[in-house]
Amino acid sequence: MKIILRLFISLIICLSLSGCWSAKELTDITLATALAIDKDENNEYKVTIQVVNPSEVAGDQISSRSSVATYSATGRTMFEAVRKITKISPRKVHLSHLQILVYGEEFAREGIGETLDFLIRDHGFRTDFTIAIAKGLTAEDLVSVLTPLEKIPAQKIASSIESSQDNWAPSKEVLLNELIESVSSEGKDAILTGIYVQGDPDEGKSMQNVESADAPAKVRLDAIGVFSGDKLLGWLNEDQSKGFNYITNNISSTVGWVNCGDGDRTITLEVINSETKIKGSIKNGKPEINLDLNIAVNVADVECSIDLTNTEERNEVEKKLEQKTVDLINDSVSAAKEYESDIFGFGAAIRRSDPQEWKNVKDNWATLFPETDVKANVTVQIEQSGMITTPIYNDIKKKTKEGN
Amino acid sequence: MIIMRQKFKKTSSTNKRDITNISSEYEVNLSNELESNKKEIYRLLGNSSDLVTREFQLGKIRPINARILFLDGLIDKEFIQNYLLNPLINDLRESKSDEKVLDVQELYQFIKDFTITTAELAEIKNFKGLLEHLLAGDTILLIDGIAKGFAVGARGAKERGVEEPTTQKVVRGPKDSFTETISVNIALIRKRIKDPNLWLESFAYGRKTKTKVTIAYIHGIVNPRIVDEVKARLAKIDIDGILESGYIEELIEDETYTPFPTMFNTERPDAVSAALLEGKVAILVDGTPFVLLVPALFVDFFQASEDYYQRSDISSLIRLLRYIAFFLALLTPSVYIALTTFHQEMIPTTLLVSLAAQREGIPFPAFVEALLMEITFELLREAGIRLPTPIGSAISIVGALVLGQAAVDAGIVSATMVIVVSLTAISSFIFPSYSLAISVRMLRFPFMVMAATFGLFGIFIGLIILTLHLTSLRSFGIPYLSPFAPFIAEDQRDAVFRAPRWAQKKRPRLINQRNTRRENAGQPQPDRKG
Repeated sequence: MKIILRLFISLIICLSLSGCWSAKELTDITLATALAIDKDENNEYKVTIQVVNPSEVAGDQISSRSSVATYSATGRTMFEAVRKITKISPRKVHLSHLQILVYGEEFAREGIGETLDFLIRDHGFRTDFTIAIAKGLTAEDLVSVLTPLEKIPAQKIASSIESSQDNWAPSKEVLLNELIESVSSEGKDAILTGIYVQGDPDEGKSMQNVESADAPAKVRLDAIGVFSGDKLLGWLNEDQSKGFNYITNNISSTVGWVNCGDGDRTITLEVINSETKIKGSIKNGKPEINLDLNIAVNVADVECSIDLTNTEERNEVEKKLEQKTVDLINDSVSAAKEYESDIFGFGAAIRRSDPQEWKNVKDNWATLFPETDVKANVTVQIEQSGMITTPIYNDIKKKTKEGN
Repeated sequence: MIIMRQKFKKTSSTNKRDITNISSEYEVNLSNELESNKKEIYRLLGNSSDLVTREFQLGKIRPINARILFLDGLIDKEFIQNYLLNPLINDLRESKSDEKVLDVQELYQFIKDFTITTAELAEIKNFKGLLEHLLAGDTILLIDGIAKGFAVGARGAKERGVEEPTTQKVVRGPKDSFTETISVNIALIRKRIKDPNLWLESFAYGRKTKTKVTIAYIHGIVNPRIVDEVKARLAKIDIDGILESGYIEELIEDETYTPFPTMFNTERPDAVSAALLEGKVAILVDGTPFVLLVPALFVDFFQASEDYYQRSDISSLIRLLRYIAFFLALLTPSVYIALTTFHQEMIPTTLLVSLAAQREGIPFPAFVEALLMEITFELLREAGIRLPTPIGSAISIVGALVLGQAAVDAGIVSATMVIVVSLTAISSFIFPSYSLAISVRMLRFPFMVMAATFGLFGIFIGLIILTLHLTSLRSFGIPYLSPFAPFIAEDQRDAVFRAPRWAQKKRPRLINQRNTRRENAGQPQPDRKG
C-alpha cells in the first residue's frame, strides 16, 4: 500500500512538473510542404518554405484566400535561415510533412553537398520527401507557383513525379537517403528530376493562376539532371532519361512504339514489366558492362495491318522494340559518358562482381567510365494483345479498297 | 490510510462484544406459558406493527390454548389457513372428539406427526431460533404448556418471477435469469446440472440482515483448496448487513486497490453452470440476482455466454473484436491527444491538414477539448442509466444534438473529437461484462493525462504500468492474466479465440488440476460410406 502511494505521488509529481514538455498544439504550428534552397547575392543560403493554410485546404468555408503561403529568409547556414523564418511566419514551422525539397538550378550547379547534413541530422525532418531541381529558375520561384488542381502545390509536384515515374518513366523519385548515398558512395553518381515552370513564374504566384482552366504558369516535369559528386552538370533529354530508368531497373510501366509494316505506321506497346540485370567486369583494363533486360509488353494500339496471331509477325515487332530499347540505352549511356558521370552505378556493379579489380580502378574511375563498353541484351515478350486480335485498321483498309 | 485502518479495527472489535451480549440474551429458552412467550416476542421485536398473531384452541373436550405468529407479508396466508389452521382447528377437533383426552406432551407429538401437513417443519426451543425463523418468514406455532414450538415453512413473500436478463442479453441462448430469491436461483442451477456432486453450502452473514449466502461447486471437479479459501474468507465477514453480492465481493476479493474486477458477476444461470463445470465456485447471495463466480480471470470478462452457443469461428471473431474494443475504449482519446500535440509527423499529411483545419479557432488545447467531451459523455451516460426510460431517450437526443452538433458548430470542439469520443463510447459498450467496462471507462482518464504530458511515450509508460499491475493480480490464488501470463498453450483454445467444442478437451488448467478432461468425443466424423 505504501509503495503504491509513493508510486502514485511520484507519478503525479512527474506529470505536473514536466508540464507538457515539447507539446505543440496543432494551432501553434504551421505545416511546411515544400522547402526551396537557393543562394542569394551575398552567397548566403536563401531558404523558402511553402506552408499550408489548413482552413483553405480542408475547412468548411473556403474563401478566396490562397491555400498556401511562402516565406523566405536568408542565413549563413541552413538551420539559421530556417529558424529565421519565424520572424515572418506567425507560427513555428513544422518540417515533418515536407513533400518536396527543391534546389535552384544555379545552386545545384555550385553543389548541394553542404545542405545534406542538416537535412538528415535534424530530427524535424522525415526523410521521405522527394528531391528535385528547379530547371532554369530559382527554387523560390518554383515553389511560389500555385497549382489549379491540387490545393497544395508541393503535393502536386511530389505526386506527379511519382506517377510519371510509374507510368511514363522519364523521371525518378529520389528520396533523401538515396541522394545522400549516391552523392557520397563510390561507383555511382546522383541524379535528380528537373522541374520547370511553363509560362511566367511571376504570374503563377497570384490567385489568377488557379482561377483559369488553362493556368498561365504551369509546373511541369522535365527529364533527369546529371550530377557529378554534388554538382549538377547538365540534363538528359526525355528518351535518355527513359534509357536511364531501363538501365537502373526502375521501370514499372511505360509506353514504347515501333514502326510496323508499310511506311510510318506504328504499333504501340505498353511495357508492363521490365527486369534489368547489370553485370560488370574489367577486361584488359577496360570496364565492360553487360545488361540483360527482360521486358514484358502488352499491345496497346495497332495502327497498321498486322496479324498478331502470327508468331513471325509478332517476333518481328518484338525484335523492333528490342532494337529500339538498345538504341535508347546506348543514347543514354553516351550522354552520361559525355558528362563523365556514372549515374547508372556501373562502378558499383563492377565492385560487386570483381572487388579486387575495382580497387585498382576506383581512383581513376571518372576517367575510365567514358571508356566503358556497354553491351545491352534486350528480350521483349509480347504477353497480351488486348481485347481484340485483328486490328481495326485492316477493316478500314479493306473498305477503302472496295470503295476504290 | 493506515491510521484509518487501525481505527476501523478498533471499532469493529467493540461491536463484536456488543453483539455477543445481545445474542446471549436471545439464548433464553421458551417458557411453558404461552402468554409470557408471546409477551417476550413482542418485547424483542419492539411491538412491531407487522407482527401478526392469532390465538385459537386445540381440541374439543379440554381445549388447549395455542397461538400462531408470523410477520405480515412474508408468509403465504392461504397456505397457512388451509394446511396449518384448518387441520389444527377443525381436524383435531373432530378426530379428538371420540378418543381419550391426551396430555399436552402427547398432543404435541400428535400434532407433529399427524396434523401439520406442511413440508417444512422445524422445532424451536429458544428465542434465538424462534426469531431466526420468524424473521426469515416462517410461521411460529406455540402451544400453551410446552416450552417448545414449531416453525412452519410457508414463506410467501412477494417476489419477482424469472425474467429475461437485463444486463447480459443474448441473441441465441437461454433467456432466463436469476431473481432476488436464492432458492429460485439454486433451483435454476440444479435444473441444469443434475449431478449429486453439485454441492451447496449455506451460511448466513450480516449481523442484522442474516442474509443467506450459498456457495455452490461441483465436487470432484472443483479444486478443494479454492473452496476452502472461499469459505475461509467468507468466515471472516463480520458486517451489519449484506444487501447485494457486491458487499461480499468487496469483503473477500484479493485486491481492493485495483480498477479491475477479480470476481465475475452474472445474472445468467447458464453462465454460472458453465463456470461450475469448469471448476469454479459460485457464491449466491439472497436478495440479488447477481451471482459471484470465483476465481475470475481477465479473459473471463471478454467472454459472453453466447460465444459458446454460436459457431466457433463467429465467436472467435467477435471475441477478437472485443479485445480490439478494449484498446479502443482505453486508448482512442489519449492516442488522439498524443498524436495531435506531440507526434504530428505520424499523421498522414492530408489527414493532418484536415485536422488542423478543424482545430483552427478551437480555443482549448486538445487535452482540455478531449476531457470536456469525455466528461460530458460520462454525464450523459450516467444520466441515461438513472433516468426513467422515456426521459432517458430524451437525454440521448439532447446529448447527440446539443452537445455533438452544436458544440462543433460553435467551434468549441472539433468534429474529429466528437468522432473520437463516440468511437470510445461505442467500444466501451461492447464488453459483455459491465464491471470491466467501468474499469476501462475510468482508466481512460489517467491515460489521457499521460498522453497530454508525455505523448505516446506517456501512453506506453501507462501501458507498461497497467500490464505490470495486471500480472500482479490474483483471483483466489489464480494469476489474473492466465492463460497469457503464465502462458498455457492448452488453454489458448478458449482465450482470445474459441476452438470448436470438440477441440476443447481439457478444463482450464490453473483452476482445475484433477479431473481435467471434459470432452472425449473428438471431431465429428460423419459416416461417408452410405
